Amino acid sequence: MAWYWQLLIVLGVLIAALTIAAGLIWYERRLLSLVQDRYGPNRVGPAGLLQVLADTVKIIFKEDWVPPFADRRVFVVAPSLVLITALLSFMVVPVAEGWVVIDLDIGLLFILAMSSLAVYSVVLAGWSSRSKYSLVGGLRAAAQMVSYEVFMGLSLIGVVALAGSFDLGDIVEAQEGLWYVVPQFVGFVVFLVAGLAETRRIPFDLTEAESELVAGYHTEYSGMKFGLFLVGEYVAITLFSALIATLFFGGWLGPWLPGVVWFLIKTFIFITLFILIRGTFPRPRYDQLMALGWKAMLPLSLLNLLITGAIVVARAG
Amino acid sequence: MASVSLEHALILAAILFAIGFAGLLTRRNLIVVLACIEIMLNAAGLAFVAAGARWGQADGQVMFLFVLAMAGAEVAVGLAIAIRFRQSLKGLDVDDADRMRG
Amino acid sequence: MTILFYIAAAVAVLATLLVVTRRNLVHALLYLVVSLFAVAVVFYTLGAPFVAALEVIVYAGAIMMLFVFAVMLLNLQAASPPRVPWTAWVGPAVLVGVLLAEVIYALTIETQPLAGAEVGATAVSEALYGPYVLAVELASMLLLAALVAATHVAARAREDQTAASVERGRAVLHGQGTASEPGVIVEEGDA
Repeated sequence: MAWYWQLLIVLGVLIAALTIAAGLIWYERRLLSLVQDRYGPNRVGPAGLLQVLADTVKIIFKEDWVPPFADRRVFVVAPSLVLITALLSFMVVPVAEGWVVIDLDIGLLFILAMSSLAVYSVVLAGWSSRSKYSLVGGLRAAAQMVSYEVFMGLSLIGVVALAGSFDLGDIVEAQEGLWYVVPQFVGFVVFLVAGLAETRRIPFDLTEAESELVAGYHTEYSGMKFGLFLVGEYVAITLFSALIATLFFGGWLGPWLPGVVWFLIKTFIFITLFILIRGTFPRPRYDQLMALGWKAMLPLSLLNLLITGAIVVARAG
Repeated sequence: MASVSLEHALILAAILFAIGFAGLLTRRNLIVVLACIEIMLNAAGLAFVAAGARWGQADGQVMFLFVLAMAGAEVAVGLAIAIRFRQSLKGLDVDDADRMRG
Repeated sequence: MTILFYIAAAVAVLATLLVVTRRNLVHALLYLVVSLFAVAVVFYTLGAPFVAALEVIVYAGAIMMLFVFAVMLLNLQAASPPRVPWTAWVGPAVLVGVLLAEVIYALTIETQPLAGAEVGATAVSEALYGPYVLAVELASMLLLAALVAATHVAARAREDQTAASVERGRAVLHGQGTASEPGVIVEEGDA
């Protein structure tokens, strides 16, 4: 592949991911307003579209304050980690046939590795702030994200077993006849729940539960450092929507329209689903969250894995 | 693909193991002692993987997976002991745990 | 690929040195995470991408997270023993240095090239669930035993603590003690 084509894909994926994440802020606020029967931001630009720009300018020019009691070096590094890991994961997601930054054989493992590193961002932010709310938020995040990572990995093994590859491009091509959401419906449900927990979205946002923890792990953050957490969260939502579309709904596959369009349509459907879930579900108690994980998600994904494995072996003869 | 010689990979493993060992002998903080054991286990795993890569066989990587499982088990028990240690001795100095000295 | 190996090796050695010398626990653990990353890159250059990914997922992502979690949860930072004087390093460093020199000498007598072939996830899995399947079962038993042991040890710690605080509460109630707990952790600033 020519180097300029490669560069174009890299820039395209990077800019598209960041633009979608920024646009999501507006999209989420408008859609949530619709759910809650109010207008939402509608003053800046047409339909409030420029609100994002105004917010960005505002957040960049805010005072960038590091608490004097904080562990300065860790405090500064922590917010960037969440964005870096989410953006790096996009490297292995195929946007259309052959449109992928790096065709890694262990693509899915790479994504799992990156998401397991995203935990550090939250935990270190909580620890380095030296505030009790941040610390409790960070501790919750550590337990929640490490637990749900287990189920996320297990729910994906069914897909890997059916496709016979960790490469996301191969997984999409293996769904030519039938989307994996049909044979792997349990895996899809577990992955969706685990994705919610990994991105720390409502109903799993106990790490920043504002009614008890002020703002959880990012209580002490302000200015663009807080902005990085915000953008990181939206990039992560885009990533998980793209992953669901790729792994369970045939990625770029679809009739008539070009592959990229199908991929974007599917991704947007799941982004909308994420936002609607935020508008509808209440926040569970922390022990309920852990019980759901270990008592429902783990047995479900193990059972799914067992049955999938048995079918794959039986088919192979 | 790889044009690194086996010896260089093994020397790296030896250096990492030596650093971990020196730390294990010197440091008195229980958590650092556990971390040093992790360094040494990881170095041993590196030697396994390098040896497997020498012959292009999967066995080295399989052994690394067992090292990984063992490290997980060791850390779980080690940290549980650290919690006990912290509560009964009010500190993490391994030299404090000398009640069994004859 | 060769240059990548040496860069990663240098990073691994440097980061590991910092792990054993830092006094701040969390910083030391973070350097260990860096060292594990570097070793993961080394694995990749050695043609073992599968274990490279697992090194990051399991070692850096789960095991080190457990360390950081324990340090944060128990405020172990405040309980750290005083710094060891640098003279304490002399004996172990000399002995280990001699051993290391011997190993390096023994390893530089002859040079063997690596096979150069990449051993992917499929080959590893086939070996794991083929000839090594019994060892996999044993490893799972080991993990189960560790799980039970860790739960038992840590749970007993909590019972003791509850009993102790009940005792203290009784003492306060009968006017024999003060309300302040002797085990209260004092926040300590650090570098």
